Amino acid sequence: MFNFNIEFTGEFVAFFLLAVCAIVGAVLAINFTKVVHMALSLAFTFISLAGLYVLLGAEFVAFVQVLLYVGAITILMIFGIMMTKHDGEGQEPARPLLETLAAIGCLCLFGILFYGIRSAEFPAEAASLPADNTLEIGKLLFTQYAIPFELVSVLLTVAFIGAVALAKREEDPQ
Amino acid sequence: MQHFWDQPLSWGTAAIFAAGAVGVLAFVLFFVTYAIYFERKVIGWMQYRKGPNRTGPLGLLQSVADVAKLLLKEDTIPKKADKGLFVLAPVLAFVPSFAVLAMIPYSMNLQFADLNVGFLYYIALSGITTIAIVVGGWASNNKYALLGGMRSAAQMISYEVPLVISVVGCVMLSGSLNLREIVESQAGYFWQWNFIPQIIGFAVFLVAAVSELNRTPFDLPEAESELVAGYHVEYSGFRFAFFMLTEYVYVYAIAALTTLLFLGGWNAPAPQLDFIPGILWFFVKFAFIVFSLFWIRATFPRLRVDQLMGLAWKVLLPLAILNIFLTAIGIELMR
Repeated sequence: MFNFNIEFTGEFVAFFLLAVCAIVGAVLAINFTKVVHMALSLAFTFISLAGLYVLLGAEFVAFVQVLLYVGAITILMIFGIMMTKHDGEGQEPARPLLETLAAIGCLCLFGILFYGIRSAEFPAEAASLPADNTLEIGKLLFTQYAIPFELVSVLLTVAFIGAVALAKREEDPQ
Repeated sequence: MQHFWDQPLSWGTAAIFAAGAVGVLAFVLFFVTYAIYFERKVIGWMQYRKGPNRTGPLGLLQSVADVAKLLLKEDTIPKKADKGLFVLAPVLAFVPSFAVLAMIPYSMNLQFADLNVGFLYYIALSGITTIAIVVGGWASNNKYALLGGMRSAAQMISYEVPLVISVVGCVMLSGSLNLREIVESQAGYFWQWNFIPQIIGFAVFLVAAVSELNRTPFDLPEAESELVAGYHVEYSGFRFAFFMLTEYVYVYAIAALTTLLFLGGWNAPAPQLDFIPGILWFFVKFAFIVFSLFWIRATFPRLRVDQLMGLAWKVLLPLAILNIFLTAIGIELMR
């Protein structure tokens, strides 16, 4: 299980750097005390993940990830944070028992994931990726997966109408 | 450039890529210097003034002197600012603006990265600059800067939607998101360029693009009369220069994108004129778009805040969606 044979190719170096960036962003997001800093380090993680997608040849997913998570969601979070006051930011009281338990839980989770990934059999690639995989995604979405796609759009429309209704009700205090 | 893509990466090709990037940076800096000069001259001409004419012959060194002034200026950071983010914001704004230039094909054989999702790449990265603007406004700890940053973010998010949807028509006509293939599908006479079959899309794209650039008539984020200067009110020296540079690099990117998506890129207006190299055609069209942006700035008043969002959501978005339907019907009928 522990015999890693790693080839030091450019791809590996890029993967390693991006993975480290993603983890650093996530860890910083937990450790920062100011909420705006947390949102930004989350954005950093999202960008690193997009880099990993590019590495896997999924440019479309990568740039949609940046567009939605970094461009829209992070900005919305920052908006929300800026609109509200955060005077009570400070050190939380230390809770040693809880922290120890959380650390044990994390280690167990890591162990399970590590075991799962190392013992999993990855089948060899059935077919090589098509050169223009965005085109293939589009074709699949509108043929084989047309119904799930439409269902998702109905779901989003419902959410959208719900958001409008909620915002409207807050607007006029009767 | 293309033949380097298929070769394995060696130190030699890496050096060539790095040299290419430095070359683009130098070219962009040159463009920005003279775009500012050109802008001031054009606006001066339209307002019966002379524009800059003192520094150097015909005022040609005015922008150089301005940049030198900014670089030599004392660098100030407000006492109560969030120092880390205050320093980070200009960098975070500039890096994506330069990175988007990688996907622009100047001619058939001159392009740095051939992405399948060329246009999406631009939109995705320009979102990062929006974050930088908000963060810069917030980190300054100044209410004018914060308001400017907020307005800017709200505006850029809203106008991104019609901007993306207006391009869908072009993508449908050429069947690809790849900018090179979009240009190739417009080959032939000038009425085959996308701006005639996609006239609604073109109009929506232009309006949304001017708004994305935060330029007049959509320059509410830096409305001097209400906000002093907007999100960069606390910035001075080279950090301020970086924000300005970002703005003009986006002018460059948008002008190049408009040329590629709607004006046929490097295609000549008629096949008979093909003996003139494509890159020249590209830059002629590019210069025309840049001039139009300055022209719009010189002649339009600023929109009111409450009209701004209405325009994006109630006018541009329905028009862009209508354009998609009309394009689909057109494609069906032509088949």
